[in-house]
Formats: sequence, structure tokens, C-alpha cells
Amino acid sequence: MKVKAKLKGAVVKVKAMFKSPMAGTEEAEKKKIKPEYITHIVAKHNGKVVYEVSTGAFVSKNPLFKFEFKGGAKGDELEMTTTDNNGKTETKKAKIK
Amino acid sequence: MFKLDRKFLIAGTALALSATMLFSAGVKDALDGGMTYTRADGMYSSYHINEQNLTGINNGRIATANELKAWDLDIMPDGTGLPEGEGSVEDGDELYEAQCASCHGEFGAGGAGYPTLSGGSMESLKNQRTAPGMEAPTRTIGTYWPKASTLIWYIRDAMPYAHPKSLTNNELYAITAYLLSVNEIKIDGVELDDEYVLNREKFLKIKMPNEDGFYPNIDGPDGVENMRKFFADRATNIGAGKRCMTDCIKDAPVMKIGHEITDVSPAYGTTRDLPPKKDKGAVSEVQELYNANCSLCHKTDKMGAPATGDKEAWAELMEKGFDKVVFNAIEGTPNGMPAKGGNVDLTNSEVKKIVEYMRDLSIDKK
Repeated sequence: MKVKAKLKGAVVKVKAMFKSPMAGTEEAEKKKIKPEYITHIVAKHNGKVVYEVSTGAFVSKNPLFKFEFKGGAKGDELEMTTTDNNGKTETKKAKIK
Repeated sequence: MFKLDRKFLIAGTALALSATMLFSAGVKDALDGGMTYTRADGMYSSYHINEQNLTGINNGRIATANELKAWDLDIMPDGTGLPEGEGSVEDGDELYEAQCASCHGEFGAGGAGYPTLSGGSMESLKNQRTAPGMEAPTRTIGTYWPKASTLIWYIRDAMPYAHPKSLTNNELYAITAYLLSVNEIKIDGVELDDEYVLNREKFLKIKMPNEDGFYPNIDGPDGVENMRKFFADRATNIGAGKRCMTDCIKDAPVMKIGHEITDVSPAYGTTRDLPPKKDKGAVSEVQELYNANCSLCHKTDKMGAPATGDKEAWAELMEKGFDKVVFNAIEGTPNGMPAKGGNVDLTNSEVKKIVEYMRDLSIDKK
């Protein structure tokens, strides 16, 4: 997972790329791999949820997400967590620049 | 004809034999199985030697040391030509976003029509390009490139596309560091985080993931001999010598046409008639001209033109006087009205009729 958060004016612009084959049952069967896709993405700023999204195999491989939120300050920490269909979670913290 | 061929064959064999006897001392086979020619100095070449008399031909002069230096700019894996400087991943991130991301995508993920710089896997390189249900081979810095020196050299000489050679040495190191970090390449076991600063010394320690993925090894003084050894065993190394006509590819999946077109249904028609004309109802000549030439802009006020039927706009327009409006329609205006609506084939009187038609639709009748 790669996360980039930047403060521009009053808005924090976040770009994040997640590493996942995003292969649902059908695609995984074709590729002869285990189904693996991210089902849930949450971004928290100071413990407050600023972005939350449900995803599935319809999203491309190694997907890229962009979003913006207000109220962030330079040096604050943004915590992003992904959960995949196998229950595996991954967390990454990025400092707002 | 047959006899003639045989004659040539025999003559050719005899020639080849005598040639072998003449030049056999110290001459090796050409790498690709072609001819080898000996030179006067005892060396050999794969090119025919031109024995034409060269007196009187001006071959120019030998390049000076400075000229060679100006030309010899490559950055080699051993560090030759590698500039001094340093740059952090964080700086590189900023530079990348400003100068590279528009073409190569965020995090080097591609997608904008220009080469993808990160992602993919080395295993995918072995896959057939069009095989169904398989990841296509993705050749990126992390999966394919054997040497990091090529990366920094290419960025220096050819990037950014719009204004190459505009980056300073420190910027070069910064962008290189960023690209290595998005490809998750470690230097000396150290992960490249935001604060990582890349310099010449650290750069020389980089080992790219696919460094050993190329064969035979053509680098160094043994390169030619490695190639010779490789080509000597063609059957194993490049598969030549084995012929296969049926079921040649057994394990790897191969793309096949799923639904071939065997017939067209319904069949193509053979009648040559034009489609029947539709009855348009009662449309006057001027209305037809209006529809063809003016309605595109004047139907609504979306294009900024006074819309037909817009009473306010036309009342304002008519304050100029009808003749002036007709004149403008014929000559065009700087506000966007093209002369005669863009159709020069219209006559002045036709334009006048159209304007009358539009006016009558747009003003209150007294």
C-alpha cells in the first residue's frame, strides 16, 4: 500500500494505491489463483473516519483511489486500513505534508 | 538445370575447402553460423573485407580527445559517467508528481498511454502475451530492468519528454530514488522510505531484481565467448533443430478464436434501391433553408445566438432595423455569426427570406 497525503489550502488531497490482484471467484478460477480482493477501505484522521468505501472484484488490479477532506493539518497522521475477502487487514500511516 | 546446380555445388565445396585450408589457423566460427573473414593483422571479422584501392579517398581525421569526451556520455553499470549528487525520495515524489505523473501515472502505475514504471511481477514475464486467464507480462523497472544505471541515464538524457536534459544531478538522484521506492527495491537491504537520500555511493550498491534474468551474459571480455557457447548448442538454447507440426505447445495455454464467423445472418441484401423517402409534410422552401443552415445555432440560445422564437432577444435585435440585421446575416458579425450562416452558396435574397421567416416567428404580430 502506498499513501500520499498533501495539504493544499484547507483541503487535504489523498492518493492511495493498494496492492491486490482484485480477483473475484470467476477471475481467480481462470487465473488459477485464490480469490483475493479488497472489500473495505477506511481512512481515519485523528481517529475520525474521513473516507470509507466498500469495494469488490469489479475494481481493477492494484487500484488507485483519490479523495479529499477538510480539517487536516500538516504533520497530522492519516491511517488507512484495508480488509480483504480472506479477512486479512493491512494498515498504513502517512503524514500529511 | 540439375547438372548446372551440381556443378556450382561442387565448385563451391572445393572453394570452401581451399578457403578453410588457407585461413584455418586461429579462425573461429562466426557466432551466428555465418562467414568469418580473416584480416591482414591476424584478426578475424564477420564482414567481408573490401580490398578496393583506397588511395585518394579522404577518410577524415581522427577525433580529438575532447570530441570523444563530448560524445561519450553514457552512464555504465560500473559507475562510469555517473554524476555526483544526492536526492531524497520525498523530493523525488514532488518532482515526479509535477513532471512525470501526467504521463506515467501516480506511483508509476501507468494508465495514461505511456510506459508503466512500477507494479507487475517477474513471474509474469514467462507468460504468453495473449494467453487467456493469465497476467500479461509487465515489463517495469522492478520486474525487467537489469541495471539501475540505465534508469538514471535515460532520465538524464530523455526525460521529461517535453524538455529533456533540464534536470540537475540532485533532481536526477531524487527521481531515481522515488522510482526505486515505488518499485519496492531495497538498497543494501534498506527500504527506501521518504527520508532516504540516494547518492552516488549508494547508487552503485543497487542490485536490480531482474539482474540475472538475461542470458547468456554478454558483459565483459568473456561476452563473445559466452555467446558462442550459447549458440553452439542451438537445440537446447533456442530450440532450433526440432520440428513440430502438431500439438506443439502442451503445457502453456494458447489463445484461440472462440467464435469464428462462418455465416452472416441475415444474409446481405441484393437490392440496389435507396431507402424510401419520408413524407416531411408541408415544409416551405425557406423553412428548409432555415433548418439546413441556421437552426444549428439559432434553435436555442445555447450557442449565444438569438434563438428563433425568443421574443425579447428579437425585439432587441430589431431595434437595429431590419435591413441592418439582414446585412449582418449576409456579412457576418465579429460576435460569432458567420457570413450567410457559413453557407456561401446562399444568395442574398435567400438570406433575406430566412431572416424574415425567423423574425416572423419571433415577434408579436400586430
